[in-house]
Amino acid sequence: MSRIKATVRFLHAWRHPDEIAREVEAELRFHIEMRTRANIEGGMRPNQAQLAARQSFGDFDRVKTRCCEISRSLPFDSNVLKMAMYITVAVVAGGAALWAVNMPHHSFTGVLWQLVAIVVECEFGNKGTRVGNLLYPTQ
Amino acid sequence: MSKSKAGLLQGTLDMLILKALSLGALHGYGVGQRIAQISDDTLKIEEGSLYPGLYRLEQRGWVESEWDVSDNNQRAKFYKLTRTGRKQLIIEEQNWERLAGATMKALRAS
Repeated sequence: MSRIKATVRFLHAWRHPDEIAREVEAELRFHIEMRTRANIEGGMRPNQAQLAARQSFGDFDRVKTRCCEISRSLPFDSNVLKMAMYITVAVVAGGAALWAVNMPHHSFTGVLWQLVAIVVECEFGNKGTRVGNLLYPTQ
Repeated sequence: MSKSKAGLLQGTLDMLILKALSLGALHGYGVGQRIAQISDDTLKIEEGSLYPGLYRLEQRGWVESEWDVSDNNQRAKFYKLTRTGRKQLIIEEQNWERLAGATMKALRAS
């Protein structure tokens, strides 16, 4: 059930990135406000308390960006998905290559289909390289 | 170990967040406070780093959140542990005990 909720949240984050960014910001600001209050109760002056709260929080923008990124990341093991994509791309590109080789090329239509197969092969070959780079990133 | 120097091992933060939430629903600020409280102020976490941890745990389905009103009548996002999160906490605790035991054994070896 919680996996389903996480997936719904992921889809929502993709569809409404601005809303998520606003939510994250409101949440982080609430934290700083709570810390500021605690600092004031601890005897600090308001300006000093706010400054100390910001310092103890760390880099606000970096945290906000990271939280938004996590909201938009896949809620399950993405390597399995990437591997499936890689295999699909390899099968389509291989199929196109076989088709191009075996296509009779004594007629105009045959040559045309062969060209289409080559385009498909190139396109999926590029996609395969991109997916491959995602799977095994080069340094 | 000096209290101010007590850092966290990688992966420990997630376990501490789960532990803090196992005691009841909390907002992010409350999670930090509870971790400090249950560790007798020994574990100091950079406050901002709590949030990526909370979001990560929510993404894994171990915690869930909803907006509610806090004690001081402000809107705040509250987190609570899910059933899978509770199971995960038990696994994390067992792993941690095994690791800590092995480390102690290695340190005491003569």
